[in-house]
Amino acid sequence: MSAAAGLEKRFGKRLLEKTELRGELAYIVAPEDWLRVLSFCKESSALAFDQLDCLLGDHLPEREAAPFEVVAHLLSHTHGHRLRVKTSLAEGQTLPTVTGLWPSAGFDEREAWEMFGIVFEGHPDLRRLLTTEDFEGFPLRKDFPLEGTVGGRIRIDLRGKI
Amino acid sequence: MGMTDGLFRRATDSEVRAVVEGAPLKREDLELDISPDELMGGPVRFPGGIAMPVQVERVLGFGRSFSFWPLLFGLACCAIEMMALGGSRFDMSRFGMEAMRASPRQADGMIVAGWCSIKMAPRVVRLYEQIPDPKWVLAMGSCAISGNIWDTYNVVQGIDSLIPVDVYVPGCPPRPEALWEGLEMIRQRVKESKHAYDGLRRIPARDAIAEGGSDS
Ligand code: SF4
Repeated sequence: MSAAAGLEKRFGKRLLEKTELRGELAYIVAPEDWLRVLSFCKESSALAFDQLDCLLGDHLPEREAAPFEVVAHLLSHTHGHRLRVKTSLAEGQTLPTVTGLWPSAGFDEREAWEMFGIVFEGHPDLRRLLTTEDFEGFPLRKDFPLEGTVGGRIRIDLRGKI
Repeated sequence: MGMTDGLFRRATDSEVRAVVEGAPLKREDLELDISPDELMGGPVRFPGGIAMPVQVERVLGFGRSFSFWPLLFGLACCAIEMMALGGSRFDMSRFGMEAMRASPRQADGMIVAGWCSIKMAPRVVRLYEQIPDPKWVLAMGSCAISGNIWDTYNVVQGIDSLIPVDVYVPGCPPRPEALWEGLEMIRQRVKESKHAYDGLRRIPARDAIAEGGSDS
């Protein structure tokens, strides 16, 4: 795959790991290289990933040093190929935003922050997206209780909302 | 048809006189399931005319029950079955319900079709309050009734903790026939002028606010 060759030539050892499952290519990079790798993916004409399919977070508590993961799914309409780029983060570690490359990352990063507490530095509007503004906690972390932290049938403060 | 002629045009002088002076109108003329006497409920004669207190509600209820317009509003997967009921196969336009209004101000009630997330809850309450009285609410599906399996941080545990509900239609999702049956029950309540909010001073959502916000 030419995408793989282009990336490997440019970044070499900085791509920490490469996996391929049923023809789906994925690279793991360090958080410091996140923005550099992704901007190369978009701007190099051999890769030309003009669309960010989705960007999502993940929580893997069994990996104690770096329990969080962020995955970017890229798609190139020019060449018709796809790529996944992943990175692992420790609790509290931040990641630069990629809204400058793909504005659609705005919502994805808001959701990843809301659900996992992964902060994206430089994000223009990091607010809660799916839960209410007074919500506390990051619900997709594995240690979050499923029934929430409030309880009762009306799990919401309706004052000033209706 | 006697029904529409008799009920919805302005009565002529001779007809009013007929009612006041011993009613030659017959039950068959009106095609009602109540007799004209009962319907007109003993008119009260005043110097300038007649008044028909209370029983007018029954005429209105009868008329409303044939044109119940629900709010065009779906929350989750149940709304797909609601659309099926609106479509040609199940065809709720047979019962005068096909005109689903996109504005709450033109609707007679709402079908809460699906689970209601906590972020959506204030909007549901607002829509409910924007529907003019009288109004009826049908909770469709286990999610609207009780939250179903979603006993989670993000789902309202039963829409009746926010707004008063008239009819519950269980199922996940209920088949269109079940929703139809529920709407028939709503029609019965419309005819009888019964509302879920009868006897309530405030809807549950307002109660929750008064009590301090969360839990009920
Ligand atoms: S009751 Fe079932 S079909 Fe209806 S909204 Fe809930 S999960 Fe979906």
